[in-house]
Amino acid sequence: MISLQSVSKLYNEGRPNEVQALRDIDLEIAPRAVTVFKGPSGSGKTTLLSIVGCMARPSTGRVFVDGQMVSGLPEKFLTEQRRTTFGFVFQRFNLIRGLSVLENVMLPAVPLGPDHAALRRRALDRLEQLGLGAKADMKVEYLSGGETQRAAIARALINDARILIADEPTANLDTELTHRFLEIVAALRDEGRTVIMTSHDPRIWEADMVNAVIEMQDGRISGAFA
Amino acid sequence: MTPFLRRQRALADYTLAALARRRGKNLALVVIFSVIVFVVASAMLFSAALQREADLVLAEAPELIVQQLVLGRQDLIAETEIAKLTAIRGVTAAKGRLWGYFYDRISGANYTVMVPDDPAMMPEPGTVAVGEGIPRARGFTFAQAPLFLSRWPGELQKFAVARTFDSDSALVSSDLVLMAESDFRRFFEVPPGVYTDIAVSIRNPREIATIVEKATRAMPAARFVTRDDIARTYQKLFSWREGLLVALAGAAILAFAIFAAEKASGLSAEEAREIGVLKAIGWDSSDVIAMKLWEGALIAIGAFLIGTVAAYLHVFGTGAALFAPVLKGWSVIYPDFRLAPQIDGMQLTALFLITVVPYVAATLVPIWRAASADPDQIMR
Amino acid sequence: MIFQTPILALLLVSLLASLVAVWSGWFGLRVLARWNLASGSRAQLQMERLTELVSTLFRFVMLAELVALLLFVFNADRMASLFVGAMCAVGTLNVNPYGFPALYAKIAVFFAAAVWLMLDRADRMGRDFPLTRVKYVALVGIAPLVLLSAGLELTYFLNLRTDVITSCCSKLFTPVNPNLAAELSGLSPGAALWLLGGSGAAVVLAGAGALIRRRGAQGFALAGAVLFGVAIAAIISVVSSYIYEHPNHHCPFCILKPEYGYYGYALYGPLFAGTALALSAGVLQGFARVPSLTGVLPALIRRQIWLSLGAFALFGVAVIWAIVRSQLILFG
Ligand SMILES: Nc1ncnc2c1ncn2[C@@H]1O[C@H](COP(=O)(O)OP(=O)(O)O)[C@@H](O)[C@H]1O
Ligand SMILES: [Mg+2]
Repeated sequence: MISLQSVSKLYNEGRPNEVQALRDIDLEIAPRAVTVFKGPSGSGKTTLLSIVGCMARPSTGRVFVDGQMVSGLPEKFLTEQRRTTFGFVFQRFNLIRGLSVLENVMLPAVPLGPDHAALRRRALDRLEQLGLGAKADMKVEYLSGGETQRAAIARALINDARILIADEPTANLDTELTHRFLEIVAALRDEGRTVIMTSHDPRIWEADMVNAVIEMQDGRISGAFA
Repeated sequence: MTPFLRRQRALADYTLAALARRRGKNLALVVIFSVIVFVVASAMLFSAALQREADLVLAEAPELIVQQLVLGRQDLIAETEIAKLTAIRGVTAAKGRLWGYFYDRISGANYTVMVPDDPAMMPEPGTVAVGEGIPRARGFTFAQAPLFLSRWPGELQKFAVARTFDSDSALVSSDLVLMAESDFRRFFEVPPGVYTDIAVSIRNPREIATIVEKATRAMPAARFVTRDDIARTYQKLFSWREGLLVALAGAAILAFAIFAAEKASGLSAEEAREIGVLKAIGWDSSDVIAMKLWEGALIAIGAFLIGTVAAYLHVFGTGAALFAPVLKGWSVIYPDFRLAPQIDGMQLTALFLITVVPYVAATLVPIWRAASADPDQIMR
Repeated sequence: MIFQTPILALLLVSLLASLVAVWSGWFGLRVLARWNLASGSRAQLQMERLTELVSTLFRFVMLAELVALLLFVFNADRMASLFVGAMCAVGTLNVNPYGFPALYAKIAVFFAAAVWLMLDRADRMGRDFPLTRVKYVALVGIAPLVLLSAGLELTYFLNLRTDVITSCCSKLFTPVNPNLAAELSGLSPGAALWLLGGSGAAVVLAGAGALIRRRGAQGFALAGAVLFGVAIAAIISVVSSYIYEHPNHHCPFCILKPEYGYYGYALYGPLFAGTALALSAGVLQGFARVPSLTGVLPALIRRQIWLSLGAFALFGVAVIWAIVRSQLILFG
């Protein structure tokens, strides 16, 4: 359960190139559901996602995760919250080149000081589930687009995040792969996870497994559909 | 293992993989760093070894040497002074010594010419015993070659070489020529009844100060040099030269630190992106800093080990072939000898502080800067 | 005289420590003036990130300072042969009036930094920077101490003159002189051992009390500080004599020499560690009620008390072992 109260975000505060990316947003995001932010490019979707996902602090306003206020936390605890609660799939996936798929997937767990063998087993299981078991030892730069995305999903889930966050997940995928992705998302929701995505892709917000669509315009919420 | 250790291990693992991925850049860093450690460590080990060598020699030296001063310079001392010294309580023996320097125009070297104290070492008249440096300087081709000494152009004196000493305490004895007393007086035209100086043996080293005081009253014109004075002079000389070398190396260390800081702050785009990704997927600044510190530590410790081991081999294996001229430099004849290998914790600590600390210090701020990247940057 | 590798290394560390102290002291003043957790502004975020840099720099510099403290004493011992009359570190430190003050300042920096690092540690455990102000007030106080220590050290090394005749431990630590060192050496061995045992017992009692009642670590810190002083006195008065196996040799430095198997390190290492831990437990106790720390700080304090007790126990074992294996018989 995530709620935002009159959240605004300014970039380059106090400088001539100041940008107000979010204005006075109030929002509740339901748990165990799929929520999509839609809107034109530059409307503030990614910014909102980063604030929801404890990646950035709002300039003003409050953010609550499970009733706990996180907006005033020091960066260190924000990070701690982020890595235990959220998993991220980025628009450009951002896997680290030169490392194998398995190593990439295990990376978010490193600061937690996990037991190596158990972590490895967990990562392999997750890759197996996503159909990447055979490619675990391959360097990530040799993966195809869909495989890269699935590797990124596996990485996002390695710390057993309850909330998966995906920014424009289907921007680089064809229809076939988009369907595959939506299937994975549906399966994750059925596991009891919350999924939050941004998209300006109708294939996403028209899909029937999406529970809520929030429409954005110029940093404001201009409509919400369930 | 505790989570703390496991985290460190995981970070170190990641760092090793990252180092391997950027092999070229890191190898260059390690090589330059090792060279600097090598120079500082060589200077340090070498001067400490010379110091020890000198201590060994001094251990055999007399407790007190008495010299005659005329016009503030050392002059020959009369045999009659010996009696004044032996009369002082606590003095076991006082003996006149004959020794001097001889500039050999043929080899361009300075020899120390001496009449030995020890009757067993005394060469027969007409013969000499020489240190191993002299045949080398003269380019003797066969073992029994005679030694010709020329005091002025057109003059030559022939001595048979009775024996050559080996390199035990080569530092002091390699340029030594031992002669019989009669030969010495004739060769240097020293009249009978005078000596170069007087060596005094004293039973109890604690009494040296009192004995010097009494002797000064008896022989106001003389100068008294104790063995400790000589030891201190040596030590100052060696450590000063070592320090000078280290200070020079300091300039190199500074340059290297700037270079390292430059490297650390001028992260390649690839590396900066990598740190951005790590922060985005849940690494904290302190995790990134710890990872980068591991990287610095692996490089620094690697270079430290390589440099120190190389310096050890250089100093004790090759007799500091690269430095000998700078640090010894008190005789044209550089002894060819092996220093006794020795290294201690204090040297290693000082070496570590003076090389690794500047490196780490120089990279800390750039590391922090890289680690404080905004985590949401990567979403753009 | 300063052109010697160990001296250059020491001066280098002092220089770095001074730079860090000056910069972080200045940053500390800025924090005290502008810190505002409620603000989500860039400036505040930047300041929060800079605190991470300060902690990293401080930890690094203090680690270097700790090694430097060892090197300082070791080097003083090694240089004794350069000075007429010096047999060990005491002689070298006595060559000019700055030697001992430099050593004391270094020790003070060690304790201050140890406590500060523990404050820093506690501060990072709370979710709202609970001790940040305290920490930076303390930092602004420590910075001049670091500078003073560096200044004393530099003055000391610049004024090392080999033609000065210095006096060594045999002159300083004898009961006949009218000074503190002499008084300590004149302390009767029996009294010294009783005092040591008594303050050791006080530390154990205070520690057990603090562990059981879950408060009152300040008392433990006080007992630890007293034990530190008494222990130094006892080392001078009696423990060192046992190590030298000589009733009239009372030197707190010669025991660090290789001739005596570096035994001094086994005494001073645990003693300093135990005292530093005790002091920081006492200081942290003052903040145990800070809301965001109530969950974590008591555990940290308890751990420090345990570790401190362990360190003091090691010290005790080292003392007893020194007495037991010695050929010297002072009692009986
Ligand atoms: N780091 C930044 N600095 C300055 N302006 C930014 C930054 N990030 C985003 N913006 C601006 O904020 C607005 C919202 O951006 P974003 O959230 O990326 O929109 P969307 O994801 O909907 O395309 C845009 O006008 C963008 O230019
Ligand atoms: Mg976007």
